[in-house]
Order: sequence, then structure tokens, then C-alpha cells
Amino acid sequence: MTVTEEYQAVFTGKVLEQLQEILARYPSKQAALLPALWLVQRERGWISDRNMAEVGEVLGVTPAYVKGVVTFYTMYHQHPVGKNFVQVCTTSPCNICGAEGVVKALLEQTGAKDPGATSPDGKWTIVEVECLGACGFATPILVNDDFIENVTPEKVAEIVRKYR
Amino acid sequence: MGFPHKPHPKETVVLSQYFGDQEARTYKGWVKRGGYEALAQALKMAPAAVTEVVKESGLRGRGGAGFPTGLKWSFMPKEKKKPHYVCVNADESEPGTFKDREIMRWTPHALLEGTAIAAHAIQADVAYIYVRGEFTEPWTILEKALTEANAAGVFGTIKLYLHRGAGAYICGEETALMNSIEGKRGNPRIKPPFPAAAGLFGMPTTINNVETLAAVPHILTRGAAWYKGLCLSNPKSTGTKLFSVCGHVQRPGNYEVTLGFPLKDLLYELSGGMPAGRTLKACIPGGSSVPILNREESEACLLDYEGCVAAGTMLGSGGVIVFDDSADMVYQIMRLARFYAHESCAQCTQCREGTAWTTKILERILAGQGKTQDLDLLLDLAENMTGKTICVLSDSCAAPVVSGIKKFRNEFEDYLAGKRKPVMVA
Amino acid sequence: MADAMINLTIDDVPVSVPPGTLVIEAAKQAGVLVPHYCYHPGLPVAGVCRMCLVEVEKAPKLQIACATPVAEGMVVKTQTPQAKDARQGVLELLLINHPLDCPICDQAGECELQDFVFQEGRPGTRYADYAKRFNPVEDFGPDVLYVPNRCILCTRCVRFMEDVAQEPVLNVSERGDRAFIGIHPEARLDHPWAGNVVDLCPVGSLLSKDFLHKARAWELDKTASICTGCSQGCNVTLDTRDEVVVRVRPRPNLEVNRYFICDHGRMNYRWMNRGDRVDAPLVRRDGALHATDWDEAFARVLTILRGASGKAVALVSPGASSEALSLARRLFSGFDWTGAFQVVMGEEAPLAGVPNLALRAERAPNATGAEQLGYSRDYAAALTAAESAAVVLVLDDPDCAVRTSGALIYAGAVLGPDAPCRAAEVVLPLANVAEEDGTFVNRDGRVQRYFQAKPAPGMARPAAWVLGELTAALGVAEVS
Repeated sequence: MTVTEEYQAVFTGKVLEQLQEILARYPSKQAALLPALWLVQRERGWISDRNMAEVGEVLGVTPAYVKGVVTFYTMYHQHPVGKNFVQVCTTSPCNICGAEGVVKALLEQTGAKDPGATSPDGKWTIVEVECLGACGFATPILVNDDFIENVTPEKVAEIVRKYR
Repeated sequence: MGFPHKPHPKETVVLSQYFGDQEARTYKGWVKRGGYEALAQALKMAPAAVTEVVKESGLRGRGGAGFPTGLKWSFMPKEKKKPHYVCVNADESEPGTFKDREIMRWTPHALLEGTAIAAHAIQADVAYIYVRGEFTEPWTILEKALTEANAAGVFGTIKLYLHRGAGAYICGEETALMNSIEGKRGNPRIKPPFPAAAGLFGMPTTINNVETLAAVPHILTRGAAWYKGLCLSNPKSTGTKLFSVCGHVQRPGNYEVTLGFPLKDLLYELSGGMPAGRTLKACIPGGSSVPILNREESEACLLDYEGCVAAGTMLGSGGVIVFDDSADMVYQIMRLARFYAHESCAQCTQCREGTAWTTKILERILAGQGKTQDLDLLLDLAENMTGKTICVLSDSCAAPVVSGIKKFRNEFEDYLAGKRKPVMVA
Repeated sequence: MADAMINLTIDDVPVSVPPGTLVIEAAKQAGVLVPHYCYHPGLPVAGVCRMCLVEVEKAPKLQIACATPVAEGMVVKTQTPQAKDARQGVLELLLINHPLDCPICDQAGECELQDFVFQEGRPGTRYADYAKRFNPVEDFGPDVLYVPNRCILCTRCVRFMEDVAQEPVLNVSERGDRAFIGIHPEARLDHPWAGNVVDLCPVGSLLSKDFLHKARAWELDKTASICTGCSQGCNVTLDTRDEVVVRVRPRPNLEVNRYFICDHGRMNYRWMNRGDRVDAPLVRRDGALHATDWDEAFARVLTILRGASGKAVALVSPGASSEALSLARRLFSGFDWTGAFQVVMGEEAPLAGVPNLALRAERAPNATGAEQLGYSRDYAAALTAAESAAVVLVLDDPDCAVRTSGALIYAGAVLGPDAPCRAAEVVLPLANVAEEDGTFVNRDGRVQRYFQAKPAPGMARPAAWVLGELTAALGVAEVS
């Protein structure tokens, strides 16, 4: 007997209902693409090629079309990421306030080797991102959906402890 | 969390009055503070009359371009033959700018109310509020406010929906934002057609910035004349504006002042000046896309649309990035170029290749491997990247490079001459 | 409607064009080719390569000619220093990551990047010391390879698949200078019209596997022809190298195929190069076919025709030219004549974005012509009639299962060792479509001419010449 991994559809039951509700907001099905991708990422943690094909089927667009859109937006994960996905703003205003030190501290204390790489325990992925839109609260970071302001290298240890 | 400072006496607090006030976030709290009176008033007026009031007030777009808001509304077809839409640009991503975020976090109902008024004025049944994907907290707050307001039925037949972005600076460009709502890559469109003729889903559309719409209820309740009277210098620049101050200042944050306010006072008084022992080196007053000012220019600049142009820059989004004398301007300009290279949508050749090449040249200079002709090359590239593409992202990358080389040439030359230690590895 | 025309000048040349015309098209009328990459008249305007920047008087900035409609009194200048600088700037940026592998690139010689750099000029590069962007070659589909390093992101291929084929199987992936043309791993670029992306690609980024490293563009001779793949009648160019057809490409005809051909037609050329040809006339002597010269072959046919009367049957190919079909009928003007053809049928494959354009189920180029000339589609009846006919002519239908008690004449380009037509009294060697001039009538009744692309082998001659010689010798009158 060959073992093949059966694809588990995302859009069933409750998630499908949520999508239906979203679809009602727009005059075209395609307009629900970004929200649908958010649903996939919420359910699966990332968006696989198979997921993209499913989204395409549900919304009446081709898998290639969906992939073109997914790769445009940096917040959609095209690969699995750590349990805690940390985005650190390193654009100019945060940079002059020490953002690079925050990245360094996060890497050191989570064991993630480089920005973008996941820590060996699978718990952390740290990425540098461009402007998070909270320049007055440098350095802002996003841990999953939690927006944390005024992070300094000194505060990193506590944050890491909290999410570990 | 929260708006970090008490209002400074020199501020004119209109939009930011309830920043930090938890109760103002709730529907009941907002109504208690006079909220939704403007909407009720507007719904009793003819759409054109609402537009007229806004036109009269002199309100101009707070997203960056400064286009007169009432005039923009008046471009919509008077006779409605197909669906009209309102798009709210809550994709605040311009480096240095974080004002819309505070409006959404503290006074979500101000935005919802302004949006509904705009929808009434342009005869739209539906408004989409496009919130950048990273704004998780403002999203949650807006979502809750919208649920409450819908439950109270304040919007009548007008439907408001939130739409979440997913990480793309360029979606702050109006037509890219529309493409993004339509489920496409956030590519800016060729104009014409302009949104008022064919915008979202090909229908007549008006798009406004969060801060612009948040000002509208005040204009309706207090009157166009009152708003117009808020003016310190040029009659073409009226009302208050939130300035986000960040970088090397003692008290970074949002400050609301009447247009025409001196940048000098904003820097030295409201935001407390530079850190101890430091002096001002440079300032970008309108978000990262506008030319950099040096100290003298900054100290002479008046914060309104015309004043900034006179100073050789632009008011833009009002994101004030401050650099003290410790800042390495070459490195910071490289960071900005890298930002634009990262965010280029890839459509236009000059932007796709030019932003990346510009970044590489700056990185090379910072690695101590710059060539003497690199500055001329950067300027020539910048020229090629200005005024030649579908949108202005390419121009925005060129602006800090050109103004930076012009005003801080010695810093570049020090790297080129080996007088500065390389800070990057090639 | 002269008063509805818009008048403007382009590089000081006055032109009048209909309202809505784009400056880039109006310029062609002024004899000016504005350099461009993303623009293609068969695709929706994208306006992204920014190559066609021109100066328009009174406009504050340079305008892209591909997205600017003409206006009355407009003054367009393509050769001002600003416009030339802008175009050179674009070329420099397109070249910084473009490999200089022209010597091994199939596109070399017909590459728009080469052409416009040659035209606009840009000596040297200032992008020294940086490694060029590199991405591996990708297999997109049955006949298409993607070489991302050469790609200039003009998006013609994406727009073709999205708007013309209406099967968006290609995308632009990623952003900024990381962007490339992408495909979903579960999808293939195997649409029946997909091969057009290779023609549309202005550089050597999308390549045909069939043509890969087969010839240099400048070695090719190009001949206007008509596709024989079906009854649509798409206009094509036959590219030959050393008298071998190596490629079929679409030739624009807005009424028939716009700028496109289907993959079936594109690949339908190898038979034109077949080596196992009948290359000399054959006559039956002592029960076997023997090679001979045209004089003896003609004499034998004339003897047969002059000595016979009554029923004559012509079994013809719907791929024969109208000229040949007409003469083949005239040949039998004194007989009780029956003519018929049979058409191979296949699946219809429309190009969704173009009205009335499809790979037609009827896989023959001249069925309409044959019908107009009086040939019947009742091939079975003609085969039955052939059994008792005095003379039977089979015209270029080598597998025809003919049986006759009369005299059988076979005229064709090929004849297999076991073909029933081996029973013929005379075999006349014919040129194939690539080896003769002729006309086809497409399914809409459009008469279209095709031209000789290469010589016929040996003594083979065009059917119209062969049948013309015979009718002249017979002195038969024209069929009314």
C-alpha cells in the first residue's frame, strides 16, 4: 500500500462559512483573494502551492494567478515559519534608534541563525521588515499578531521569555 | 501603549483630542463626545451640499499629495448611473509616518464617521477601508468599532467594510490600493482613467486618507469657516495636521498643529529637541519620499504645502524624520533606497532596476569600495528615475539620494576617500 | 469620414488618424518606429517598460507613446535630447542584468533588445563589478523554456495568456528586481495556442524547444505562406535554412489570425522536409513502375486520357492548391466526371480572446476551395464510382484506398511502398506546399496566396504546372 498524503481542504465548515461571508462584501469573487489567503494562513500557518490551487478553485482564478498575488505581498508565508514569527522594523527611522541591535538580540536569544531562518527548536523565525508604521515608537516589532512598541535590546529577553 | 504625551500648549488639538482616551473608542463613548452628530447632519443634507462645505473649508488630502478634498469629491459623476465607491487609504506605510495609526487606535469612530459622510457626499453605497496588514491592533479596534456602529445603525444604507493588506508599501498608491482590493497584485495603474471615472471595480471611486476623513466631521459640525480660519501662513493650507516626529528627538510622537506652524518649534519645543549634547543635522519633514532638509533649511521651514515647497521639499504625509549630528547620512540614505528597492512593484524598468542599482552603489560606498564617479552615477540614475514611471515610487527613491548628495556630499566623499571606516561588508 | 480624423505631427511629419489611435501607432504612419518592449498591438496596453517615452508639446513630462491617445494638433517629438536620454536610460537598466550570451541565444538577430540598443546606442556599461542576477532555466511546457536571466519583464507573455488565451497560467512573481515570470508547479504552459508567447517575447527569454539551437536567425530565408493545419487559413512565414523548413511563425493578418498561430499549425511542418519523396515520374512497364522522364510520363497520361471515355473520377487532397484542383477538373472535361475529397477531423481549439479564430476541427487548408470547384465531400461514393471508372486520378492523397478496373493515375509528393496507388499506370511527382506558389480558400471564403519556400526534390514539379502541361496538350476548354 502506498502512503500518499491526502490534501486537507481549508475551505470547509466554519472557514468556508467565513469565506462566504467575506464574498458577500464584494461585487467580484476575485476581490476575496487577499482575505481568503489570510484565512489559509491563519488555519495552516503558511500558504502552500496546494493551498494556492485550492484558493484559486474556490475563487475561480488559476493557481498561477494566486501564486503571482501571494508572492507580491510580503506577509504571506510561502514556507512554514516558527511558532513565533517576529517582524522587526529596520527602516531608517528605526535604524537610527537602534533597530539593528534589536535584531541581533533576538537572533542571539532565540537561537535563530539568520534573519529568515527558523530556530532549531522550531519556535522562532526572526525577519527584518521595512517600515511598520510606528516610527515614533522605535523599535516596533510584531510577534505574530501582537504589536510591541519601544523594543530595545534590553527588553528582548523578557519578550522571548513571554512567548517561549 | 497609548499616545505618549500630553498636548503641548502650542498644539491645536482637533483630531487628537481623544488620543489616549480609552472610552472614546467605544460607540457610546464616542456619541457622548459629540460623535456621529456630523453624520446625522450630513445625511439630512443633499450630497452636493456636503461636498460644498468641505470644498469651502480648504481641506486638502493628508496622505501626501495635498489635493483639495472637496474638489476631488466634486469630480464624481453628479448623476449616479453605476455603483460609486469610497476607498479609505489606511495603508499608512511611508517611513516616518504613524499618524493614521493613532487615529484608528484611539478614535476609530472618527474615521468611520468621516468615511460615511464621504460616501453620502459622493453617493456611494459601499466604502472599503484598506488597512495595512501589519496594523493588527488598529484593525482589531476598528473592527470592534464598526460592529458597534453597525449595531446602532448609524450608517443607514451605507455599508462599510474593512479590507486587510498583506505587506506592500505600494498599496498606499491609490490605484495600487484598488487593484489590491480587487484581489490583484498591488500594481499602480496607468492614469487616465482617474478613479473618479473608473476606479475600484472600474466604477467611479473616491479615495481619501484616514486623517483627511477624520477631519470631515469636525468641518461639518463646526463649519467650513472655522476650519478655514485655522491657518498660520498661506490661505491655501488650512486646518490642523498631525505631524509624526521620529528619530533623534527627546519626545517622538504625534503633534497636531495648525498648518503653517514652524518646523523649528515642532522640533525644538514640541518634541523636546535632540538628545542631550546633540545638534540637528538633517530633517525629512514629509515622510521618506520627500527631499531632505539640512539644519538651516529645517529651521526656516513652515509646515504647510507651500512652505515646504519653498524650503525645497514637500509636506507629504507629515512624517518628520529627525537626524542629529551622530547620524551617518550615507547609511541612512542607503536604508531608504533599500526600502524602495524592496517595495518596488516591478512594473516600470526605471524603478525595478534603478532602485536596486541605487542601493548597490550606496552599499558599495559604505563598504569602502566606492568609485569616484559613483556620486555622478547616482545623480544620473536618479534623473533617469524621476518623472518617467507610472507612479512616484521611483521618484521617491531618487529624492533622498539627490538631496542627500547635494547637502551632505562631504559624508559621501569621506567614504570614497577612505576617510571614514567602512560600515558594511561588500 | 475625413472630418472625424485627428491631425497631428510626429517628428514634423503630419499624419491624420482616427480618434483613439495611440501615438505609437500613429507614428508608424509617419514612418517612425518608436522603440518599445511591453507594447504589442495584439495585447492590452501595459505601459510598463517605459521605453517609448516621447516628448509631447505642452505635456509637463515625457509621455509613453503606447498609452497616449492622439489629440488634434498634438506635436510629438521622438528625437529630442530628453526623449533619447530617457530611452537610453531604460536600455542601460534593461542591460545591467541581461547576460551577454547573444552568441548562444536563439533570439540573436531578431532580438528587440539588440535592435534598439543598436538603434539608440549606449556604449559601455556603468554596472561594472556587480554579479548579474541569475536564475536557472525553467521548463514551462511542452514546447516552451523560460530563461529568466534574459527576461526584461515586459509581461507580454503574461498578458497573452491572461487576456488572449484567457488561461492565466503565467504570472509575475515576487517584486522589485527579484521579479520573474512564474508558473504554478502543478500547471503547464500547454494551452493549444501557448507557443505564441515565444514569438511575443521581445528577447530570448521564452524559447521554443523545437527550434532550440537549430539555426541562427540571420541564416533563415523567410517565405510568406498559409498554414495547412486546418481550414482557418492562418497567415504564416516559413523559415527555411539550407532549403529545409525549420520553423513556422505567424504572419500578421488582422482579418484572419491577428498575430497568432496555434501550436498544431506551428509544429505542422516536418512533413514538408520528408526525404522519402517521389522524385521522378514513374510509368508501368512489364507490371512494374519504372522511373522515367516527364516526356514519357506525359505521353503515357495523354494516351490514357485520349483512349478513354465515359466515367472519370478524381480523388483529391483538400490540401491541394485551388489552381491544381481547377486544372485537375479541366483535365476531364470530356468525361462523366466525379470529384471528391476527404478531410481529417480533429478537435476544435479556439483562441478565446480573438473572435472567429480557432484551430478548426477540419484539418485541411483548402476544403472550401475544393468545394467551390465542384468537388464533393462524399468520398465514399467517389471511391465506389472509381471501381468502374475508365480513368481515376488520385491527387496528392497517398493513402487513398482506391480500387479501379480503369486506368489509375497518381500525382503526389509521396507514395508509400504499400500504398494502393502503387497500382497506378503513371505516377507524377509533385512539389509540396513549401515548394510551390498557390492559393487556398479558407473556411470564410478568403482566397489567400502562398509562395514557394524551397525547391522541390529531383524532378518533382508543382501540381499546377504538371496539370497545366497536360490540359494544354489536350487542348481542353475551361470548365464553366
